[in-house]
Amino acid sequence: MNDFRTAPTLATEALSMGYGARRVIDGLDVSLPSAKVTAIVGPNGCGKSTLLSGLARLHKPDVGSVLLDGKDIQRLPSRQLATQLALLPQEAVAPEGLTVTELIRFGRQPHQGWLRQWSAEDQRVVQHALLAAGLEDLADRPIDALSGGQRQRAWIAMTIAQQTPLLLLDEPTSALDLGHQIEVFELVRHLAGHGRTVVMVLHDLASACRYADHLIAMCDGKIVDQGAPDKVVTPELVRKLYQVECTLLTDPDTGSPLLANVRRAKQTVCV
Amino acid sequence: MTLRWLKPEFRKHGAAALLSNDASMGIAPPEDAPVKSPRGYWRWGERRGGGVSILIEQRAVWVNSGLIIVLMLACTAYLSLGSVILDPRDVVKALAGQGDIMTGFMVQELRLPRLVAACLTGGAFALAGILMQTLARNRLATPGIIGIDNGATAFAVASVVGMSVSLAPSAMALTGAVTAAVLTFGLAAGSGTQGYRFIVAGIGVGAVFGAITQLLLARVAIDTANAAYPWTVGSLNARSGGSVQLLGIGLALGFVAALTLARSLTVLRFSEATASGLGVNTSARRIQILLLSVALTALAVAVAGPVGMVGLIGPEIARALSTPRHVPVVAATLAGALVMVLSDLAGRTLLAPIELPVGIVTAIIGGPWLLWILMRPQRSHA
Repeated sequence: MNDFRTAPTLATEALSMGYGARRVIDGLDVSLPSAKVTAIVGPNGCGKSTLLSGLARLHKPDVGSVLLDGKDIQRLPSRQLATQLALLPQEAVAPEGLTVTELIRFGRQPHQGWLRQWSAEDQRVVQHALLAAGLEDLADRPIDALSGGQRQRAWIAMTIAQQTPLLLLDEPTSALDLGHQIEVFELVRHLAGHGRTVVMVLHDLASACRYADHLIAMCDGKIVDQGAPDKVVTPELVRKLYQVECTLLTDPDTGSPLLANVRRAKQTVCV
Repeated sequence: MTLRWLKPEFRKHGAAALLSNDASMGIAPPEDAPVKSPRGYWRWGERRGGGVSILIEQRAVWVNSGLIIVLMLACTAYLSLGSVILDPRDVVKALAGQGDIMTGFMVQELRLPRLVAACLTGGAFALAGILMQTLARNRLATPGIIGIDNGATAFAVASVVGMSVSLAPSAMALTGAVTAAVLTFGLAAGSGTQGYRFIVAGIGVGAVFGAITQLLLARVAIDTANAAYPWTVGSLNARSGGSVQLLGIGLALGFVAALTLARSLTVLRFSEATASGLGVNTSARRIQILLLSVALTALAVAVAGPVGMVGLIGPEIARALSTPRHVPVVAATLAGALVMVLSDLAGRTLLAPIELPVGIVTAIIGGPWLLWILMRPQRSHA
C-alpha cells in the first residue's frame, strides 16, 4: 500500500561539504531509491552524518547540490521543504513535560498556519501516527517518562505526522538496547512498506544488512560502494571500512549477509 | 518478527498486515470524523473539513486573566499607597477625572506616570528575557546577563559624569545597549546565538562595561557620582517623559511582533535541527527574535536603567504557571509588569521617607524568590 501519490526523488550532485577549511565529504553523487530503506554506513568520522545533514539542508554545501525532484533544495522555502522531507536528528530532546500526543502534533507544524491550527486532517494524521508507532496507550504520557525505545518511536511518530514522502534518520538506534533497536527498525520497515523513502545513518553494519534495501558505504568522505546489501557487503568492504576481517554467511531467513568470525585486521587504508 | 508493540490486529495478521492499508482494517478514524479539540484547548472553526480553525489554550486564558486581575489590583494599590494614603475609591474617581483636585493631582500627575513607566519597563524586560532565553535555550540567558544592561549603564553614567548635559542619559543608555549587543554578537560570530560561546562573550562584554562604569564613578567628584548613581542600579526616578513614550510605542509593536513569532518560538525550543526539519527558517527567525529582544531591553534601560532580575523572574513565573505546550509570551510580559509595579511600590513605601531604587528591591526580593521557583519540585504536566 502506498500512502503517497508522488514519490519525489532525492539525489546529490558532486556534493562537497565541510566545516571551515576542513572537507568532510568530497564530490558525492548519490541517488536514493524511492519507497526503500537506505542505510548510510561507514567508520566514525567518515562523513555519513554530514551527508545526512546536507540532504536535510542543515548545512550548506561548499560545492555541488542536493536535488529534490531535480530542484536544488537551497532554493526551496523552509516550510515547503518540510512538507517533503522530515528529519529526526541524533539524540533529539523535547521541552520538559510535553506529552506524546503534544510532541506528535508538532509534526503538523509545516501544514498549519495562524488560521488553520487544527483541522480534521490534522486530527486524522496524528491519530494515525500514534497507531502506526504503537503508542496509543501512551498518548498522554510525558516524553520524559518513556523508555528509550518508546521515546524514539514517539519522535518517529512526529515525523510520520509530518506526512512527508522522505524521512531522514540520524542514528535512530544508537542509544538503544537490542529489543528497542528492533522496535525502531520494524517501524522503519513498516513506513517504507507504506511508500516512504527512508534514509538512515547507522553505526551497525549488521542491522544495516538486515533492514536496509540499499546501502551506501562511506569511508574518508568518499563513497566506497553502493547497492543492495548482498551485492555490496563483501569481506573486502568490511576490511576497508572498519579494518576488520570477517567471514560472511547468508541469513537463512532473509538472505541478507551476516558477519561471523570478526577479528581485527592489519592496518589498511580505505578507498 | 517481533510485533509486541503493534496493535493486536497487526499481530494477528503478522507481516502481511504491516503492508496493508491501516484505514481498510478499520483502526484509523474515518475520514469525516468530526474534529475534537486537542486536550486542553478550545477550538473555534468548522467541525469538519479544512476551513479556518483557531486553537485557544485554556490554561493560557486562565493564567493571563488571572495575571491581569492581579496586575490591576497591584496598580490600584500603587496609586493608593505612598506618603499620602488614598482611598482606592477616590483613586478610581481621580482616574476618571472626578473627585477633589488634590487627589486628582496626586494620582494623575505624580503617581500615574511613574506607574505607567513601571508597567512598561517591567513588561519590556520580561518579554525581552523570554525571547532571549528561548533563543539561547537557556533559562539564564537574559539580556541583563549578557551585558546589554551594563553597556547601557556605562554610556548613561559617562554622559552624566563626563560629557555635556545636552547628551541626555536616556539616549546614551539606548546607544550603550545597542553597542554592547553588537559587540557580543561580533565576538560570538560564527557560533550562532546558541551555546555557551554567546553567553560567555556576553558576560565578558558586560564585565568590561561594568569596569568602565566603576572607573568613571571612581574618578569624579562625589556629587557627580551621586547624580549618576540611579543609572547604576535601576530606578524609576530618573526617567524622562520622551523615553517613556518611545518605550510605550516600542513595547506595543514588539508585543505584536512577539505574538506573530510565537509559533516559531514554540518550535525553536527544540534543537536547531528539529526546528529546521519542522519548516522553521531558523536563521531568519533567530535574527528577528534577537533584534526584538535587544530593542526592547534598550528602550526599557533608557527609561529605568539596568533593573536586574525582572527579565529572569517574569518569564520564570510565566513558565511556572503555564503548560509546556507553548512559550508564554503574554504571561511573561504581564508577570514582568507585575513584578516591577510591586517592587517599585515596596521601594517607595517600605522605608519611607527613604526611597529605595526599584533595582535594589528587585534584587533583594527577586534573588530568593527566583531560588524558590528554581528549587521547587517540577509540576507534573501529565
